[in-house]
Amino acid sequence: MLAEVLTQVAIVIGFVLPVAAGVFIGRERLSQTVSELRPRLRTSAPALLLLGCVLVLNRYMRQNEPNVGFYMTETIRSIEGEFVLIFQDIATPLLTEYFTASYIYGYTFLLLFTPLAYFALSDTTMFRRLLTAYSLNYALGVVLYVLVIAYGPRNILPEFVAETMLYDNNPKYQYLTGEVNRNTNVFPSLHTSLSATVGIFAYYTRDEYPKWFPVAVFIAISVIISTMYLAIHWGTDVFFGLILASVCVALSNMLVGRWSLTDLFDRLDDDSLDAVRDRLGR
Amino acid sequence: MNCNPTDPVDGVDRRSVLAAGAAGLSLSLSGCVDTVRRVVDQDGTDQLSLSIVTVPADADRESIRIAYHLESHLESIGVDVTLKARSRTDFLKAVLIDHDFDIYVGQHPADYDPDFLYEALHSTYANEAGWQNPFGFDSMAFDTLLEDQRRADGEQRKQRLANVLRGVADEKPFDPICRPDEIRVANTTRFDGWGQGHLATRRGYLGLKPDAGVDRLNALVTDARPSVNVNPISATVRERGTVVDLLYDSLGTVVDGEVLPWLADSWEWVTGSEANEADAEETTEPTRPTTTARVSLREDCRFHDGKPVTAADVEFTYQFFQDTVLGRASPSPPPRYRGHASAIDDIEIEDEYTLRITAAAGTDVCKRAFTVPILPKHVWQSELEDRLGNSQEFSAPQGSWSLVTSDSIDPTGSGPFQFKNNAERDHLTLERFDDHFTLREDVEGDHLLAPLVDELRFTVDPGSPSSISRVASGNADVTSSMLAAYSLGDIPEDDPDVERLESPSWTFYHIGFNARTPPCSNLHFRRAICRLIDKEWIASEVFGGHAEPLAAPVTEEWTPDDLAWDGADPETPFAGTDGTLNVNAAHDAFQAAGYYTDDENRLQGRY
Repeated sequence: MLAEVLTQVAIVIGFVLPVAAGVFIGRERLSQTVSELRPRLRTSAPALLLLGCVLVLNRYMRQNEPNVGFYMTETIRSIEGEFVLIFQDIATPLLTEYFTASYIYGYTFLLLFTPLAYFALSDTTMFRRLLTAYSLNYALGVVLYVLVIAYGPRNILPEFVAETMLYDNNPKYQYLTGEVNRNTNVFPSLHTSLSATVGIFAYYTRDEYPKWFPVAVFIAISVIISTMYLAIHWGTDVFFGLILASVCVALSNMLVGRWSLTDLFDRLDDDSLDAVRDRLGR
Repeated sequence: MNCNPTDPVDGVDRRSVLAAGAAGLSLSLSGCVDTVRRVVDQDGTDQLSLSIVTVPADADRESIRIAYHLESHLESIGVDVTLKARSRTDFLKAVLIDHDFDIYVGQHPADYDPDFLYEALHSTYANEAGWQNPFGFDSMAFDTLLEDQRRADGEQRKQRLANVLRGVADEKPFDPICRPDEIRVANTTRFDGWGQGHLATRRGYLGLKPDAGVDRLNALVTDARPSVNVNPISATVRERGTVVDLLYDSLGTVVDGEVLPWLADSWEWVTGSEANEADAEETTEPTRPTTTARVSLREDCRFHDGKPVTAADVEFTYQFFQDTVLGRASPSPPPRYRGHASAIDDIEIEDEYTLRITAAAGTDVCKRAFTVPILPKHVWQSELEDRLGNSQEFSAPQGSWSLVTSDSIDPTGSGPFQFKNNAERDHLTLERFDDHFTLREDVEGDHLLAPLVDELRFTVDPGSPSSISRVASGNADVTSSMLAAYSLGDIPEDDPDVERLESPSWTFYHIGFNARTPPCSNLHFRRAICRLIDKEWIASEVFGGHAEPLAAPVTEEWTPDDLAWDGADPETPFAGTDGTLNVNAAHDAFQAAGYYTDDENRLQGRY
């Protein structure tokens, strides 16, 4: 069942990514990227390594969540009441289809295409900032997941969200999300924070990618709304997802600029990459 | 930190907020909310507050809907109510072990025989952890009723039980809401014989004939706990004990509501005079009525590790179920099977395969005691010794000590299937126990169905709708978990490969009160709360008609006429119509119970 859904997502994304690359990145940048592949990878290695480590850690933590969290569903409800139900008023079958596609495909596309686009820029700063921001999102996100045990609207108000609830309409996606998430991982919304992160970066690079900026923002907003429309997240989760995104972007701007790893790299031979890894490891 | 009112908001610089980190953010937030609430509460009023604990929709959609129904009605009459959703394990821990709740909503495992009410309500268990009296209900008069029904059989027991049920309806230690239709689906392409036995019991998995080349029965469960822990006496990871039923044998097995010999070859009832022959002369006081059974075990049965099953194992099991430390420290009865074991007064081993079991109860209740899993003495005794040996000052917190919770105890039983392997939150796989007595050629008895398939795998699936489509598409053979009411419409109707299995059910949805602490310790308060629940509406709307509303927590055959469902609860009818509360009528009910509402529509606490 899982394989079926995964294949479906992979096919769609595998088709859309090259098209988007052609439209937004352009042939010139892509061919330049191919020729500068090695030096760009070298400069970005620490950021890639960081993201890799965080993703592995994230997966491990989500599968073996230590039992130290606090139940917070009650708190979230006392803050926002039944705010998320306003989306039920605008619900139509078509809109449900649209937001389901946003939640599954739009989100995956945003997350994969953005690093690709920034890797195609001759200056790797944005690429490294983005990867660092992703890493921070996942790292801080998983800490909050462990600390805050909360159930989303679909788990508390099932009767009011049945019409739009993702898994009622498409039970198959439960295999996909179940693979990466537990049902208590709702605070904050990582869909929101990562989409917002991509949106903020699209704003930063609006000169390089003028056409991408509005598209990215549109998809990001769709994903963010979809989390509430599909009754996965509370407004509070989304709000803190936005805060998390701002924090992560700000931190990555500080870190990637200040540590100046590029200078360090310039002074080193290709062969001493291992030495750098050791330094970072310390 | 961020809650301190003396901190100028502007003075908190960005870096220190960041430094507070993710943890600080969430923790300080919860603190803030608490503070705000306390401030609100301090304006001279004393609004009554209550919490309702239940499981989230992923675990049981109907439970949370009932809880929400109650929550919104409590809110509209001015109670400060908190709805707490907890994972299945944490829910049972809060209710059964920690007794940390005001009201809970859930499904009761109940039993085929109404004697489950004995452990559920007897006052001696009010302070114990486990399925025994989670309500903390204590009433001497009630205890007598519970004991009386135990000692009777047949029509007399039914009449005495009716008194217990009237007591429950009056005093409401808990309020039964409805009994859900117990429906599952099976795919008929690979196995023959569905529907012979109840799929919540061992019988459902026996006698199923696999087609040639089929070596595994793939059953879907929506509860991941069996894949993590198969401890037979844990209260927080077991619901109805289906897996326990397969791994372990019991003396008798339930077939269509009757207990028939299983691990026991037979039992005969020894008449009172025979049983008390020796001491009948000496006693001048009337003796307590008891029942004695002479039980013969099947010979040459083995546990999965090859050791023989003997009378000593049976004796050990009943002693262990009365006290898991066997008198070596302060008593620590298990959180399951408490009522079963309490019925047994005395066990006498006659020889390796024969025992005399004396129960302070009639034959009905004595037979119920025969349905507990027989544990291998050598495994559990050594587990106990290991723990006893570890420290000088040994203590075994009742209901939650490691022997009754651990997932590392050897799952060896003598049942038709043995443990093969598991993957947490993915599957639990059992394999046929080839030495099981039902596989012997000379075994007699139509009810002795045998395990026919090589392997039985319980695969964890996220929910009922996806389970149904998996069975319909042939990716699985049967849904082992009872299907949720909301998913029943998904069952394909004209698919020749899909068989809809309906089983008689004894489980029921209910709300339970914590009678240990105010306000739910007050009988009138509990009755007023019950009037906020529209059972008829819940059965038709929440369960889509796939449930019958209840006034008594037992099956129809045991329900006295005056407690049969007649459109409304006979004692505490809903204060409203069609699921909508009549707030004035509800206020009147609370006022009659001694609770009044202030001019801002807040219900005032009396304490």
